[in-house]
Amino acid sequence: MSLEFSFYPGCAGKQVQKEAKSAAQAVARELGITLHPMPRASCCGAVSLREAKLAFSLAVAARILSEAEAAGRNICTICNTCLQTLSHANYRFKHEPDILEKINGVLKKAGVRPYNATIKVQHLLWVVTDQVDQKLLKSKITRPLQGLKVAPFYGCHNLRPSEIYESKAGDEADHLDRLITLLGGSPVSYSGSRKCCGFHVMLSDPTEMRSMVGKNCIDAKDNGAELMISPCTLCDMSMSAYQMPAEKVLNRSINLPEMNFAQLLGASMGIDATELGLERLHVDPRPILRSKGL
Amino acid sequence: MAEKTYTFRVQRNKVTGDGKVESRWQDYKLSAEPTTTVLICLERIKGQQDGTLTYRMSCRSAICGSCAMKISGRTRLACKTHVEKVADANGVIHVSPMSNQPILKDMVVDIRPFYNHVQKIKPYLQEGSETDKNVGRSSYDQVNHVTQCIMCGSCYSDCTMAEVSDKFIGPAALAKAFRFVSDPREGKKTERLRELSEMHQMWSCCRCAQCVETCPKDVKPMEAIVKLRARGMQKGFVDGPGQKHALAFHGDIQKTGDLNEFTLMQRTIGIVGTLGELGMALHLMKKGKIPSPFPHKCDGVEELGNIFRILEENPLDVETKAKEVAPE
Repeated sequence: MSLEFSFYPGCAGKQVQKEAKSAAQAVARELGITLHPMPRASCCGAVSLREAKLAFSLAVAARILSEAEAAGRNICTICNTCLQTLSHANYRFKHEPDILEKINGVLKKAGVRPYNATIKVQHLLWVVTDQVDQKLLKSKITRPLQGLKVAPFYGCHNLRPSEIYESKAGDEADHLDRLITLLGGSPVSYSGSRKCCGFHVMLSDPTEMRSMVGKNCIDAKDNGAELMISPCTLCDMSMSAYQMPAEKVLNRSINLPEMNFAQLLGASMGIDATELGLERLHVDPRPILRSKGL
Repeated sequence: MAEKTYTFRVQRNKVTGDGKVESRWQDYKLSAEPTTTVLICLERIKGQQDGTLTYRMSCRSAICGSCAMKISGRTRLACKTHVEKVADANGVIHVSPMSNQPILKDMVVDIRPFYNHVQKIKPYLQEGSETDKNVGRSSYDQVNHVTQCIMCGSCYSDCTMAEVSDKFIGPAALAKAFRFVSDPREGKKTERLRELSEMHQMWSCCRCAQCVETCPKDVKPMEAIVKLRARGMQKGFVDGPGQKHALAFHGDIQKTGDLNEFTLMQRTIGIVGTLGELGMALHLMKKGKIPSPFPHKCDGVEELGNIFRILEENPLDVETKAKEVAPE
């Protein structure tokens, strides 16, 4: 199977969460996944653009999808919200040919290659757990987690609405749990695992957002978690950088290290901590990783 | 189909004299076919094993919405849920009351918080200057979907924002509000949108889409919320942080392609709000998490400007529409 993708890291992966991007690239390199840059790709617009300018949001998504289609590749991303936004548009283009025709009419007038709705939008987590040869993956795990209790935090936009995704989604999704087991860790079962990190109400409802972060982390810790991982740059930002502010709102300490799944995968493959950007995380995972020989 | 033995691990709840809730888990074993509904199993448990088990139910047909409860991690209608779908590998099914509402006994909750929120949106047609007397075939393109709501409260029970805020109006109330905003006969559409633009209403949804996944009638409340927000902004209610945030995207995408995250906070919550967040900014800066003020420009950025201009000159209707419902 060809593991060539057009890589769409998303705005957060390019800037504030760039450690997730460099970890993703390092892991991909080791696993024979080629992530080609997308020089023409813009911001996906998230749900915000859909609310403000619906037709424009579909055209922006179609232009991004078309760039990958022209290169003959599926898209691979590391941001859940990009995954949801592009999957949502792609789902509509595949199921509503009249909408695709209208949007393509606009693209042609604007000098953009029309989109034929032939590609898939994938998350790097899905590629690693479902498409990479599992024997190769296992052979790369040189520093297993030795039973480390890891809480999977999927993030809403990796899961719902389940109908739009081209992989297992909703309550069925088990990618993070499988990855943790494969790395030699023990996945923690807790009710916050599929709840919201609050990223999208960070500025409009700051107290509520911090409560979400705190409650999910405490739930994970109460169920034994020593570390939390997520597949999303935005969840990473919430659950890690906003954990201390959440402690203030809930008036109790949490101190649960959170990192991107690619960073943990990279660490158990023996990739250098600097390349994985572990020093850029607000709750430092290095002590607990070191205790397991990573 | 062959019967199997299932274990119903049911949360028994009792309110004590001082108003606290005492909870314990009780197991009931019974044999059932995989397609037997959870409600039928609860009826058998109540009739044959333990008459004290308490829950609401009525129609058995997913019409009345009485039997919503948490079944194996998610809120579902007991009458619409097959046991096999929710049993774990050991045949165990967890049953507990809905969340985000006070418990009265076992699976029965006080549904007033949910209904009070729905009442706030005035769930009836109002007379006013915006009433359209012409009601055509396409008039219900947006209305039909949301009228399927049976007010079971499942979405409110699973709502991740309601979990941290009892002020948030909730998905069902907003879906119903959309039903009236889109009804051609409604006379006060703009007034409704003005009220919905206030705090803890439509802009406080965190867009987790749990309500879309949970709704047993496929109402897709979050989709209605996204459409309400669009209509609110079109009417000029653009003053809150949610609206300002939404409106920041299309300018950036035309200018550079990428989002200017450096100025995004200031554009969303203003200078004063940003000053209030200075502590947070310093906290982020410690780990180098302050974005560059000069985002990367993507190739062919002028195409995005062209697309925008073409759509502003010739707007396209690309909203999702409900299927036409024909009389049977």
